[in-house]
Amino acid sequence: MRKTLLASVAVLLSSCGGVFDVHPYDVDVSGETDINKKQMAVIESQFANKDTLRVAFISDTHLWHKDAEDQVEDLNKRKNIDFVVHCGDLTDTATEIEYEWSRGILMKLNYPFVALIGNHDYLGTGDQIYETMYGDMNFSFIAGRVKFVCLNTNATEYDYMAAVPNFDWMEEEMVKDSTKFDRTVIVMHAPPFSDQFNNNVCKAFRRYLDFFPGLMCCVYGHVHNDDFGPLYPDDDLIFYGIDCAEDRNYRILTITPDGYEMEQIFY
Amino acid sequence: MRWNRYFISMALLACSMCAMADDSISAQQPVESKYEKTLHRKEKAWASLIPTHFAIQNAGNMGVISAGIGWSYGKRRQWETDLFFGYVPKHDSTRGKLTTTLKGNFIPWDINWTPKTASGDAGRWKFQPLTCSLYLNTVYGSEFWKSQPGRYPDDYYQFMSTKFRLNVAFGQRIMFQIPESKRKRHNRIALYYEVGTCDLYIRAMFQSSVPLKDILGLSIGMKFYTL
Repeated sequence: MRKTLLASVAVLLSSCGGVFDVHPYDVDVSGETDINKKQMAVIESQFANKDTLRVAFISDTHLWHKDAEDQVEDLNKRKNIDFVVHCGDLTDTATEIEYEWSRGILMKLNYPFVALIGNHDYLGTGDQIYETMYGDMNFSFIAGRVKFVCLNTNATEYDYMAAVPNFDWMEEEMVKDSTKFDRTVIVMHAPPFSDQFNNNVCKAFRRYLDFFPGLMCCVYGHVHNDDFGPLYPDDDLIFYGIDCAEDRNYRILTITPDGYEMEQIFY
Repeated sequence: MRWNRYFISMALLACSMCAMADDSISAQQPVESKYEKTLHRKEKAWASLIPTHFAIQNAGNMGVISAGIGWSYGKRRQWETDLFFGYVPKHDSTRGKLTTTLKGNFIPWDINWTPKTASGDAGRWKFQPLTCSLYLNTVYGSEFWKSQPGRYPDDYYQFMSTKFRLNVAFGQRIMFQIPESKRKRHNRIALYYEVGTCDLYIRAMFQSSVPLKDILGLSIGMKFYTL
């Protein structure tokens, strides 16, 4: 009798699906993985030679699922967007289930999308879930001869002991595929001078940005604020803050051959 | 942070309800010397530390499988404290992890399935229609912190710790009392299931619009009683 019981328990265990919760910080990703890589391939092939790009930036969706769902719905209604960039904080406590919830919402987008890692997405073993589900924490892609450089700036999560921001990687990106792009947009989760940025390198970071060909602007999330303007004194580089989902607004960047325009959308 | 402490102390309180259990031995015995009395008292005290059962359970936010020992007490043995050690497999992470769980159970009702008149050696079945469990789980690894490390500003992450999880679960049990003649190592065996969730998920449910069913998890376990 005991053998039968043990066998049936083993069968139940092996069928461990959504019914059994192993651990909140279990890194057992089912469903779509390596999302950024797949989506970047789509973006790069679809918009390689497009001269006008419409890019939507959303951020900090955390657990505001209703607002995030409305946001996706609002984006889908517009129909004239090329792709979407999520600036990080996909979750609130970085549990496996939260990653699955936020992925479920983003997958409803009718456009290709990429997502950066936010500081909240690190908690527990969240960073490992991110790497499986989305991919590398620093990534870049080119659309319409514009390079989008997505940088991990969550230095506090590493107690400032990791190469965050990674200057070596930035150096590589300045020159990599330089024949394929003329302009650059920098995207990050935590902006310089925030509690997550390694503020010892703020100035050095700003200097490095100047080496990116045709730098247009920077986009960040994290602060749950829609501020925009220069972050550095006596500087003309504009940093656009993307608000959190709870505040129900996001931005659309329209890049034309002559310049760009950033609009704020309330929904 | 403050309600985090509150929950932890509640959990510990629930798990420590045991102390009051007592057995009554009132056989006529020859007068004991002071030494013997002390000895018996001490023996009795230490004997109460002997675990009454061994338990094994899957899932329940404690690992893919957990095993441990436990103590049951109370008039009908309606209270239980279990100490589990669980294993979270590596999957897509850097390594497998161990967990420890301190679990308190309360079983308010027993329903006998075997009529009392049944012949003595048939074994007896008992159904426990409700079990209530509150448990504290800790996972080992440098990725998890007990409370927010000093590198963060105060109250940076507005919730508990990543290391300790408070769980709540409700379930049912079937218990089989092994007939005396067939007992080898155990006198009772229980098979149970539980449906539960943890503090982070409850928090998520309130903050987002996630339905309750999405935060519940099932677990199945067995208990082998020796005492």
